[in-house]
Amino acid sequence: MMLVNYIGSFALVVLGIYCMVVKHNMIKTIIGMGLVDYGANLLIVSIGFNAGGTAPIFSIAELDPSSFFVDPVPQALTLTSIVIGACTTAMSLSLVIRMREQYGTLDTRRIRRLNG
Amino acid sequence: MTTLLWNLFYLLVFPGLLFSVAVGLLLAGLDRKLVARMQRRVGPPLLQPWYDFLKCCGKETIIPRHAKRAVYLAAPVVGFVALLTVSLFLPVMGFTAFSTVADLVVILYLLTLTSAAMIVGAAASGSPFAGVGLSREMVSILSYELPLVLVILAVGRAAGESAGGVTFSLAVIGEYQAANGPLITHWSLIPAALAMLFVIPCEIGMHPFDVAEAETEICEGTLAEYSGPPLALFRLTHAVKMYTMTALFCALFLGGLTTGVPALDAVILVALCAVLTFVTMSLPHAACARFKVEQVFKFYWTVVAALAALSLILVWLGL
Amino acid sequence: MTTFLNNFPILAIMTLFLGAFLTSLVGRRFAPARNVLVVLSVTLPLAMMLALVKPVLIDGEVITYWMGNWAPEAGWAIGISLEVDALSLFFALIVTVAVFVSALYSFTYMNHDDSLVNYYTLFLMLSGSVLGLVLSGDLFNIFVMIEIMTFTSVALTAFRNRQEGALEGAFKYLAVGSLGSTCVLLGVAMIYSQLHTLNLAQIAALLPEQAENPVLLAAFAFLLVGFGSKAFLFPFHPLAADAHAVAPASISLMISGVLTKCGVYGIIRLCYVLYQNIDLPFVQYLVTGLGTVSMFVCVTMAFNQHNFKRLLAFHSISQVGYVLAAVGLGTALGLTSGLYHAMNHTIFKGLLFLTAGAVQHQTGSLNLDELGGLGKKMPQTCLLFLIGAASISGLPPFNGFASKWMIYQAAFEKGAETGNFFYVAVCLIALITSVLTLASFIKVAQSVFFGQYNEKFGQVREVPLAMRLPMWILAALCVAAGLLPELVQRYLLTPAVNAVFGVANYIDQAMGAGYAAAHGIVETALPELAEIGCWDPVSWLVLLFCFTCAIAIVALLAAPNDLSRVPVSSAREDGEALDAKYEPFFSGEESVYSQVGGSDLFWGFKHNWRRYFRLMHDWHSGVVNDYTLYAAVAMAAVLAACVILL
Repeated sequence: MMLVNYIGSFALVVLGIYCMVVKHNMIKTIIGMGLVDYGANLLIVSIGFNAGGTAPIFSIAELDPSSFFVDPVPQALTLTSIVIGACTTAMSLSLVIRMREQYGTLDTRRIRRLNG
Repeated sequence: MTTLLWNLFYLLVFPGLLFSVAVGLLLAGLDRKLVARMQRRVGPPLLQPWYDFLKCCGKETIIPRHAKRAVYLAAPVVGFVALLTVSLFLPVMGFTAFSTVADLVVILYLLTLTSAAMIVGAAASGSPFAGVGLSREMVSILSYELPLVLVILAVGRAAGESAGGVTFSLAVIGEYQAANGPLITHWSLIPAALAMLFVIPCEIGMHPFDVAEAETEICEGTLAEYSGPPLALFRLTHAVKMYTMTALFCALFLGGLTTGVPALDAVILVALCAVLTFVTMSLPHAACARFKVEQVFKFYWTVVAALAALSLILVWLGL
Repeated sequence: MTTFLNNFPILAIMTLFLGAFLTSLVGRRFAPARNVLVVLSVTLPLAMMLALVKPVLIDGEVITYWMGNWAPEAGWAIGISLEVDALSLFFALIVTVAVFVSALYSFTYMNHDDSLVNYYTLFLMLSGSVLGLVLSGDLFNIFVMIEIMTFTSVALTAFRNRQEGALEGAFKYLAVGSLGSTCVLLGVAMIYSQLHTLNLAQIAALLPEQAENPVLLAAFAFLLVGFGSKAFLFPFHPLAADAHAVAPASISLMISGVLTKCGVYGIIRLCYVLYQNIDLPFVQYLVTGLGTVSMFVCVTMAFNQHNFKRLLAFHSISQVGYVLAAVGLGTALGLTSGLYHAMNHTIFKGLLFLTAGAVQHQTGSLNLDELGGLGKKMPQTCLLFLIGAASISGLPPFNGFASKWMIYQAAFEKGAETGNFFYVAVCLIALITSVLTLASFIKVAQSVFFGQYNEKFGQVREVPLAMRLPMWILAALCVAAGLLPELVQRYLLTPAVNAVFGVANYIDQAMGAGYAAAHGIVETALPELAEIGCWDPVSWLVLLFCFTCAIAIVALLAAPNDLSRVPVSSAREDGEALDAKYEPFFSGEESVYSQVGGSDLFWGFKHNWRRYFRLMHDWHSGVVNDYTLYAAVAMAAVLAACVILL
């Protein structure tokens, strides 16, 4: 069951990197960046998931060794990482808008004034 | 107090300023005389470099309009002082003034500093000829640096066996040679010694390798705008370099021989330096025409570097 | 240990972030208030870090701060911690000094730009994040700080977005940099999945028990690549070049002096403290090899450059390569020299970037092919540049020499110890790279500061004092760190090295005494450090005396000739004939503007290496897809190598 998640997250990361390497449209590059992020997020969430576990909401008194719940830390990590991913996308899209104005193209092969 | 006085003596008289300048100018005179004799000319008197130096000192210092004044004047001094420092660290056969404070890397960098000072001075003079000259000087530094480093690593490995593996210290190299005979008698180091012999004229900028000063092409290149005392100082640096480089060879490959009397040691060292001057500078000078700059680079990074690398590998294999 | 000093780490980070917030709040209206705020928020952290020097560096304490007092329970670190040992503080000092200098420089340097509020807000956030990174005791926090660092530096790179290439450089940095950040995130996730903790100290205690676990090895590979990408190691170096070339100079200082150091810090923490696997030959090969390749490739790339700051950027990575090559040796001397060089690199490369910024500020150009002769117009900047150039080329007596000397010694000794030729090759390449560095800076000196002045730049003047002061601070540090290597070693390097090798103490301070021993981490004997042998102040003072005498003599001999100082134009107006002897020699022709510089230099060298240079030029294509490909290949290669070979 969890194996599917891991394979899925791996596939997402590889797909994202493939997209970044092969696609010459900058929007698609950004989509690739997003896919890599989602893959990482899926991985983290899967790490903390315990099949059949309850929500991790306990007070100290209720807590005993028999309580079985999903690990809350990865969820917190994922939230943070999703926010960061959204920032990345927003930032790169804003850069792309300005670049479209300056260069008149979205093709990465033609946006290479800094080279050599 | 006596230590300070002794240090001053080392610095100003022996083996520092006076000694190295005297020997350097003597070697320069000898070189000119030998080349002249090989070319069937009479040649200048042995003391001609002294006369040149003194006369040059009396001339006016012209600072060109495009020159950066402070750097232009400071560069010869920096270069000369750096070279003088090297001569303090070099052993005069058995005798060393400051033995523990420096090692081969320091010497390597001080030699580079000397050349760098010349380059910066040339750059500061603002002349296009100097621009071309400094570019060529830098390329010749790049050329000899690789073989020189390889030689140093080989020697450091060969002599360091007694001192826990490797050494960069001239003192340890000297002790090793005193105990086991000069390093040139170790067959695995003979290629390195040969490479070092090639490095000497290029480092000094002697004739077949004097791409940076090429009078006939670029009007003395780096020195095109210099005149008066700064020029005299550059000439002096050039002469002292002849002493420093040959003495460095002696320290690396002919070390450990000592009579116990510093004065006698000094005489032996001067004699060895004279022989090396003849072999590495006068002979090629009389025999070869000047190389092109890319030829120099190619020659040093292939043939000479291969010689030095061969030694390094042999030494590393414990042969 | 519950003194007030314990709060300083968190306060320092908070000051910077709070400063960023307040700046954006009030700075739009009142420029003076904004400047005061910025000065306060960069000075206070510096003061706090200096206050920590006594307990941490000299007394060897480790300061642990648990956020919200969530101390560890039953051997599990449930809270988020800041943990400041000597290594963290060493890097924190580098960071705060660089931030301070950079902020000081910005006030005048940025006066041609608008919307400065955004600049200072982002700048303070960047500073806060790097400080947070080096002080953090929590792996996930390190990731978050890395991300904030990447964003703000991308935004600052694109700050002058009307300048050609600024957006492009920023976009490449963001795209490939995000891949690096993802690597860090994946590494963190994998470590958490196996050890269920994010606290550095606890990870350090638990990890060695499961050294064979393949997931943890994969995590190691991901973290190494992630931190390496933040240090812009090969093959991530094109990003640094693009970003540096277009960023404002004060930000270039931050990227090269501070951000790359964070990557180095991460790698040291990773190999020495968390995994403690630096003793394995494979890790040594990997780290040293990466460093050596970066060092050599980048220095040769610098030969092709026409842009002042792009050239500096390549050198920056080259120097970080030195640091990493030394760190990867795994010996005490190697680590000492690596840390020393890391510190020196921040100082001299900061200085060089600031001089580049000064040139850009006054002339508006960074093109090596058209500048020239600025030494006469900007004498102090020229002198400062020469100091920086001599330092980075490792010329004595500046700081670069001392640290490079130690690196050679460390590599060569390591080679002798192991009998391995690899380390001799490292030593050799390091020595050659040093000369190539010198050559490259000769090129800059000749192209920018010497030679003939290009009249198209009009009347250029020296930069104002407010910009010279930060440069002088760095230059003074260059000289001080070079002349007093023993003091630097005793008070900064040795405590940091001891902290790195004293992992058990680091763990115990955070998790409670005995925790390390319970997990089989034993206190190791602190390594003996070789003294720096190349330096004896007394004889060098004598030399200095001699040097001064010589300068005086030459100054006396060189009679002042004021004629050479008369500018051409005024001489012509006076109807006075120009004295030909003060003109540059032109084989008897009338002199014309002729500047030998830029890409014309070193033809003899480049000619022999033309195939290599052409290949390199094609590789650095400037297409973001290619750079992503290099990053992905590096990731895959390191991952495969780590999982298979470790």
